Order: sequence, then C-alpha cells, then structure tokens
Amino acid sequence: MKRYLLSRLAGTLVVMSLVAVLVFVLTRAASGDPVAVLLGDQATAEDIARVQREYGLDQPLVVQFGYWLKELAQGNLGQSIFLQRPVTQALWERAEPTTLLALMAMSIAALVGVPCGIVSAVFRGKAVDQVFTGLAMLGASIPSFWFGLVLMQIFAVSLGWFPVSGYGDPGAPLLQRMHHLVLPATVLGVLNSALIIRFTRASMLDVLGEDYVRTARAKGLAEPVVVLKHALRNALVPIVTVLGLTVALMIGGAVVTETVFGLPGVGNLVVNAVLRRDYPVIQGALLVVAVVYVVINFLVDLLYTVVDPRVKF
Amino acid sequence: MKIPRVLKKLFGRRIVLAAALCLLVVVLVSLLAHVLSGYDPNETAVSQRLSLPTSSHVLGTDELGRDLFARIAHGGRYSLSIAALTAAGAITMGTLLGLFAGFFRRLDAPMMRVVDAMMAFPDILLAIALVAILGPSMLNVVLALVLVYTPRVARVVRASTLVVRELLFIEAARAVGVSTWRILWRHILPNLLSPILVQVSFIFAYAILAEAALSFLGVGVPPEIPTWGTMVAGSQQYAHQALWVVLFPGLAIVVTALSLQLLGDGVRDLLDPRLKKSM
Amino acid sequence: MTLFQWINHRSAALLALAAAAAVAAPSAVQAQSAKSALNLAMVAEPQTLDPMATTADLVGTIMQHVYEPLYTFDAKWNVVPMLAESLPKVSPDGKHYSITLRKGVALHSGRELTADDVVASLRRWMEVSPRGKAVAKEVAELSAKGAGQVEITLKNPYAPLLPQLALPTGMAAIMAMESIAQPLKEFVGTGPYRFRERRPDQYVLLTRFEAYSARKEAPSGYGGRKTALAEELRFVPVPSANTRVEGALAGQFHFADLLPIEALPRLEKATGKVVPIMTASFGFPYLVFNTREGVMASQPARKAVQAALGQGEMLAAGFGDTRFFVAEPNHFPKGTPFYSTAGAESYNERDAAKAKAQAAQAGYKGETIRILTSRQYDFHYNMALIMAEQLKRAGFKAELNVVDWATLVQRRNDAKLWDIYITHSGQFPEPMLSPPQLGEGAPGWWSSPAKQAALTALNQETNPAKRAALWGKVQQLVYDEVPYINVGKFNSLSARTAALDGYTPATWPFFWNTGLKH
Repeated sequence: MKRYLLSRLAGTLVVMSLVAVLVFVLTRAASGDPVAVLLGDQATAEDIARVQREYGLDQPLVVQFGYWLKELAQGNLGQSIFLQRPVTQALWERAEPTTLLALMAMSIAALVGVPCGIVSAVFRGKAVDQVFTGLAMLGASIPSFWFGLVLMQIFAVSLGWFPVSGYGDPGAPLLQRMHHLVLPATVLGVLNSALIIRFTRASMLDVLGEDYVRTARAKGLAEPVVVLKHALRNALVPIVTVLGLTVALMIGGAVVTETVFGLPGVGNLVVNAVLRRDYPVIQGALLVVAVVYVVINFLVDLLYTVVDPRVKF
Repeated sequence: MKIPRVLKKLFGRRIVLAAALCLLVVVLVSLLAHVLSGYDPNETAVSQRLSLPTSSHVLGTDELGRDLFARIAHGGRYSLSIAALTAAGAITMGTLLGLFAGFFRRLDAPMMRVVDAMMAFPDILLAIALVAILGPSMLNVVLALVLVYTPRVARVVRASTLVVRELLFIEAARAVGVSTWRILWRHILPNLLSPILVQVSFIFAYAILAEAALSFLGVGVPPEIPTWGTMVAGSQQYAHQALWVVLFPGLAIVVTALSLQLLGDGVRDLLDPRLKKSM
Repeated sequence: MTLFQWINHRSAALLALAAAAAVAAPSAVQAQSAKSALNLAMVAEPQTLDPMATTADLVGTIMQHVYEPLYTFDAKWNVVPMLAESLPKVSPDGKHYSITLRKGVALHSGRELTADDVVASLRRWMEVSPRGKAVAKEVAELSAKGAGQVEITLKNPYAPLLPQLALPTGMAAIMAMESIAQPLKEFVGTGPYRFRERRPDQYVLLTRFEAYSARKEAPSGYGGRKTALAEELRFVPVPSANTRVEGALAGQFHFADLLPIEALPRLEKATGKVVPIMTASFGFPYLVFNTREGVMASQPARKAVQAALGQGEMLAAGFGDTRFFVAEPNHFPKGTPFYSTAGAESYNERDAAKAKAQAAQAGYKGETIRILTSRQYDFHYNMALIMAEQLKRAGFKAELNVVDWATLVQRRNDAKLWDIYITHSGQFPEPMLSPPQLGEGAPGWWSSPAKQAALTALNQETNPAKRAALWGKVQQLVYDEVPYINVGKFNSLSARTAALDGYTPATWPFFWNTGLKH
C-alpha cells in the first residue's frame, strides 16, 4: 500500500509541475497589456515602459518562468497589477466566499441528490424514477446564469427574502454572509445535484443487484432496512468520492454564479483579472485552483483505498 | 446489426424518440433559416425595437428591432456549428490520445499525466483563460473548448482501450504478425465506437452550454455574432420589459442541450448497458 | 461510527445550521445598521484611487469626498471658492493669479493646510493629470507666498484656468505634502470623509472626518457647507446594470448609479421605496476620427462619412425613448452661454446618395473603415451597429472591432489600429474640459492651423461674453474638419432609496449633506 501511495504522490507532483508550466504558458501568451489598464487612458509610452520594468514584463519568456518558479517556491505568487496587493493576499481574501459557497452548494447538492438518487434506484422504471431522472437531465441542460437570474428575480426582487447581490456589509457576521449565499448556493447546488442524482442512482442500482442484498431480503428484512442500512452503506463509497470531486469542481465552476450574484470570490477574481489583463492574478488563481483540485483528487483516492477493502493494488 | 432493429431499440423509449425529433427540428430550422424567415438577422429597425410577437415578427424583436426568430434560427447555425466542431475536434483528438495512451504502455503514464494536468482546471476557467489568450473569435472559442474537452474523451477512450487490448483476438492478431497500425485501426478502434458515440452527444451538449456561459461572461464569441449565448448576454437588461428577448434564446439552449443528453442516454443504453456505470 | 451514520449526523447539523441562518439572518442584518452607513452602487471597480491620475468619472465621484480643490462649481456651474478664501485677484493683463487660502483648514492627518501643500499638490497635478499637463503648458510660475497665499503666473491669458482647477475628474486635488508619492499610497486630504479601506471588487470605505473645516455659505452644487451626516460611505462596485437596478428596487443599495434607461418604468412603479433620478442632457456620445493615418485621414472622406450618418437613429438605438435623448446639432444646450447652431446643416443628414457622391470625389476606393467600440457601455455598442449600417447603405465598407474597454483604451493610442472609435463624455459648461480632442495629443490627433487659430482666440479672450461668441467658430470648424462628431445629448438615470434625505442630483454624485431618514 505504501508503494502505491508513494507512486500516486509522485504522479501528483508531476501533474502539479505540468500544471505550473501550462499556467505560465497560457497567461504569458495572452494579448493585451495590463499596464495600460492600470495607468488609464492617457498613459505615455514612458509611463508604460517604467511600470513594465517594475513588474519584470520586459524580460524573455524563459527568464520570466524561472523567476516565477523561484518566487513560487518561496510562497510568493507575485503582485497584482490592478489590485496593487500580493496575489496571495487577493486569493486569501477571496477564498472565504468561494469556499463557503462551495460547501453550502455541496450540502444542497448532496441533500437533494442523494435521496432522490436512492428513491430513483429503488423505484426503478416507475413514474418517480422517470420524473427524477428527467429533472436531473433538465438540471444538466439549464445554463446556470439563466437559472440564477430567474431565482434572483423571484426570491430577491419580488419576494425580498434574500439580498440581490454582494457578500454583505464590511465586517458582517457569518450568518449575514451565509444569508447572501443562499441563492447562489441553491443555483450551484441544484444544478449540480443532477450529476449526483444520476451517480447515486447508478451506484445504488449496482449494489441492489448484489448477492448480499438478495440475501438480506431473503432473510425477511423490511425493504427500507435493506436499502438504507445495507445497500446504501456500500453504495456510499463511490458516492462520497463523487461528492469530494464535485466540491473541487464547484470551486472553479462557481465563476458564472459569482458573476451573477456579485460575490467577491475566486471565480469572479479570475474573470476580472482576464478582462483587466492582470497576469499575476490569472496565473496565481489558476494555479491555486488546479492545485487544490489535484490535492482533493489525491485525498479522495486515499479515502477510497482506505475505506473500500475491495480495491486491490 | 440490422438497421431497423437498432432503430427500434433506440427509439423504443418514447422520450428518446421525442428528443431526437426535437433535435431534428432544431437542426432543420437552423439549416433552413434563410427560407423560413424573410428577415436578415442583423437588420436593425430601431423604431420597432422590443416589440411583442406579432404576425410579422413571430417571436418579437430585440433591442435594435432585429427579428428574434431570424436571429434564433441563424443563431442556431452558429451555436450548433461551434458545438459540432468542438465535439468533432474533441472526439478526434481525445480518441487519438486515449488510443495511444491505452495501447502503448510507455506512452501511457506521461500522456495521462498531461491529461490529468489539463483536467485539474475547471472547464469554464480553462475556457476563459484560453479564449483570453487566443482572442475572441468563433474559431478560438472552438479551439478553447476542444482543448477543454479532449482530456475527458481521452480518459474514456483510454479506459476502453486498456480493456480491449487484453482481449484474446488482439493477442491472436499480434501472434499472427499483424502490424501495430492495423491492429489499432482495424481491430481496436472499431470496438471503441460504443463509448465514443456516447461521448459525442454529451460533448455536443456541454459545448452548447459552455459557449453560452462564455458569452454571458463576455469572454466568448464576439458579440455581433448571433449565437444563442450572445443573444442572452446582450439582451439581459431588457429582460424585465421584454421577457421574450432572453426567454426564446434561453429555451433554444435548454431544449437543444436536453435533447442531446437524452439522445446520448438512449445511445448508451442501446450500445452497451454496462456503460451505465461510467460517466 | 459507520460512514453512513457520520453522514447522517452531518446532514442533520447542516440542516440545522441552514435553518438557523435563514431565521437569524434578518436580525443579524439589522444589528449591523446601528452605525449609519450608505451603500452606494457604482458602475465598476475604480482603476485607482488617485484622483489626479485618471479622468474616470468613478474615481472623481468617490474621491471628491476625501479631497477638495481650490475652486469648485456651484449649482449653476459657476466657479466658487472651496479651499481658497474667495475668487482670485487677477492682474489686468490676465496673466497673474493671486489666491488666498482659508485659514484653519484641517487635513486628515491632523495638521493645518498650508500654501506649500497646495503648491506641491498642483505641481503633482500638472505632472500626472492629463488636463494638468495641458494647463502646465500655460503656466510660467507657481509658488507659495507665506503660509496662506499661492501665486500663479501664466505665459498668456488662459480663460479656462479656474474651471480646469475645479473639475472633479482628473481633479486638482489638494493633498498633504507628505502623502504625495508616485504611485499614491496614502490618501490624506481635507474633505468631509476620510479614506478608510479599499477591498477591490467589494467596496471602498470612507468614514466621517470629525474635524472637518466647513465653509459657512449655504450648500450649492459642489460648493458651500458640507456636513457628513452619514458615518460611513460604502462605494460598492456592481458592474452588472441589471443587478444595480434589482439592488435599488430591493432596497439593498441606498443609491445606484448609471442605470439603463429601460429601467425607468420599473423604478417609477416602486413609489414610496425608490425614487428615480433622471438628469437631462447629462452628457454626449461622440465619435473620434483618426486624422493621422488610414482611410479617415482625408478630410473630404470624413465629411462624406458625416453626411451618411443619422445621429437621431443612432441615439434612438442607444437610448430607446425620445424622453431619454435629444438629437441636436448644438454642442451646448440652449440657454447656456456657449450655445451656437454653427454647422447645423451638417448634422443628422443621413443622406446616403450625397455621402456616396462625396466619397467618390474624395477618392474613396472601398477601403474598410474600422470602427472600434466596446460593450462596457451598451449604448456605445448599439450606436456602433447602427452607424455601421448607415455607412454600408452609403456604399462604405465598415467593420466593427468590439473589444473590452481596457483594450480599447490601449488601442486608441495606436494610429494604425482604428479609423473611428466611440466614447462619451459628461456635459460641462466649459468647452475646453471636453472632449480631449480640443486639446493636444489626444487620440485622433486633430491638428490644423485653423484649429490652432480658433482655439487660441477662444482661450485668450478673458471677457466671458466675447468668449462665448468665439465658440461658434470652433464648433463650425468641428463640423467642417470633422475631427470628432458630437452625436447628441443623453439623459442619465440613477435611483435613490426614498429614505435618503438631502440628496442633490449631480453629474458626479456626492453624499455629504445626505443621510437616512429613520
């Protein structure tokens, strides 16, 4: 097992290095000059050149990469050109809304998706199954911005139950923050529950066909007990791994939702950075998001191998 | 496989049949846009902006007086072409990658590491970054989306290749001395058709949604190209007084994406019930 | 504990938390507003908080609460003193200005303002600000006389000097000497609010400056007595126009700036909650021509294009209802000093045949006219579409280059990349304040002997009545040489909550003397 873990770890590190190269190449090849944005419309050529030197933008590409790696090793992701502060600080400030949103959305997705998936599997082929599966399909076909705008119109503007946008006043308590996140989390959660419904259903169907389930039924145990106590426990492992992966997806995939609801999260940061040609932020955010995803992937793998005794190496 | 029996099995479920018909209608309307609508989708008539559906403008007009039906029909060509090209590109590249990775042991690890690295980025973020680099144009959006979805296809194809590679008849072919290329193209690839075909439909659907999201964020296709996504993005502020300007393009997106996914499900059920497990 | 039980417990906890949040949140929200704070929804995140470094309206709007200029505008756009004690003593030849400062004006850092601070600030303004640089060309000497007097000596009489010092964008802000740096890191001024915190894409926070030295006169426009009624001002960037409207209607924002004109009916319906504020003739969109390079470098070609354009149709596309725009050839509204109808025959001709003929005469051979625009302001884009169509009807080949605003701002500095671009400006009482093409070096690069002569005559005339008449000559020149086209005037729409008391509509919204009714 140790050998397996070590080889997975090595593989993960390789992946992360490739991620770094990809991120660097991607953002450096971009067109558009971030300095012009910062200095505004009437900047002179000398002003632009001066700031370019300040940010090291006039060196050859390979040199910039080496420089960047060195900084990374020291935990320095560079200085944001537009925000005038370290990228790590910008990301740290943005981490809370995105993480909170991801966790809330995850909870909603799980709370909606898992039970529906179970019911779908148990009543396979019946009307309930068709309805849930159909809804899951629908959920996977609706553009998230459309859904977000609709929910905002109904619950924030017409009914006034939730704020329209933003993350709350400066220094707001956690509860107020979460109040602002309910609608966006619902959008993300409901749309992602589509995937979870389908996966839970498939996983449960697999398990329900297994021998030990038949045995449990033969023993005369009531159906709910069979489903919830025996089948679910075993179906849960792949379900949990999917949940774990979905959290990672949500961290980056919340981009559109953050834009619709004006949340100052990581996704919003990246979109703005792209529009403002803020290279360091684009690089830093992409890198961090990718690394988080890779790490979560690795941990989920770990969890999977530890929890499921059937997996052999 | 006898054609009639296959089709009967595929469309045995009514919902799949409905989805396929829906898709057919969408495609036909897009192809026949010139015939079905007399209006030029870019022709402005400012005095008639934001008018309700009437007999002369079946779906109403947008904020510049352009006929909405014409825009949706023509827009379908753009949206569908982008999605189709994306699917074609991603399937081709992904299959090649997956095939080589699965078959040649030595290529497997490095190729899959690259695939893993690319999949470490969430779809939309990667697409945004790529379009930002390449610049906003239809072709670049396609390129970006192809790069985003290729890894997913590669993974699926590789998994299937690994299985097929171990089958007895492959061993036999190698024993007899069939060249590697022949084995790949004539023996392995045909057996991958099932998973590949399933992916086509889904990638198509994802591409439609992805293009819409990119256009909404303002980092997709240039706004004067009438795709369904740019239509919703451009008209969203008029939604309150003229709901139809975002309702109809939005519906077009939802209906198309839904039909594609239902069709994909149907194809998957038909070709290999075992595939229900893998996503 | 099995995995299943663990998940079960967690779900229960999560459910409880969610329920608690939904219930408790409203009260948590209320607890926060014990301090009186205003939430002000703005168009975007300010690029910088340095009021001198940019001409962006947004930065001026925010930082005018922190900094004050020597002179400012009152409700009738007259120049009135702010940090200066009174209007300056001007020498008979118009070249020498002697400005006396008010005594006892407190800086945010605690000490008193001196003439040295003023001179240092003005020096920085003349180096850093685009308008300041233009003014610097006219200034021979700038110095402090003692602690309370500032002397400015000009090379030639320059009538726009005081308005230039008064305009809130690219502001000649008076800052504490020691805070002056490039780039500006500390914001120490004399205004009724002090800078507290900036969280990019979240808010800019200003808090009341308790020791503010107010003027005694009644408030009028940007001048007079300023009282900070609200304790905190929060400028929140909300780039989506839709969200600004929704937020205003939902009561989340006490003020929402630059709303799409389409939202007016909805705002009007929400009586008792929201008050829409429409400012007539708020500004003008204008098209800038590349007179240096490319197909539009030829003046006859530009005249041909002008003949093809229908400004009325363009404005209708950009703003919808005629309630929200005025298609008129005069650059300054009727009833204002600089009103003139010179050149009116060339406005809104929309004559495709005439344009085609003129183009042929000008030697137009079918080259593509590249129109540069952005979607940052939707009306720019819609107008560009219409313009392209009008040009096509007259036989021109037109192509739209739609880029994001940042790229447009960069590209317009390169003569090789565009032929026409679209932007807009606020409507000011002083011609030299806008558009920048009336100055030197702005994109478009308008330069001609006639321009030189007309503008010199305009700016060296110190008698206001005579000067007003001279503008007509400049306007005629603009219609003849077509360096830019003033499309017309549009109204702006913003909204405030009904409970916001004392808000006076202004081009750059200000929130002193403004508070919430309880």
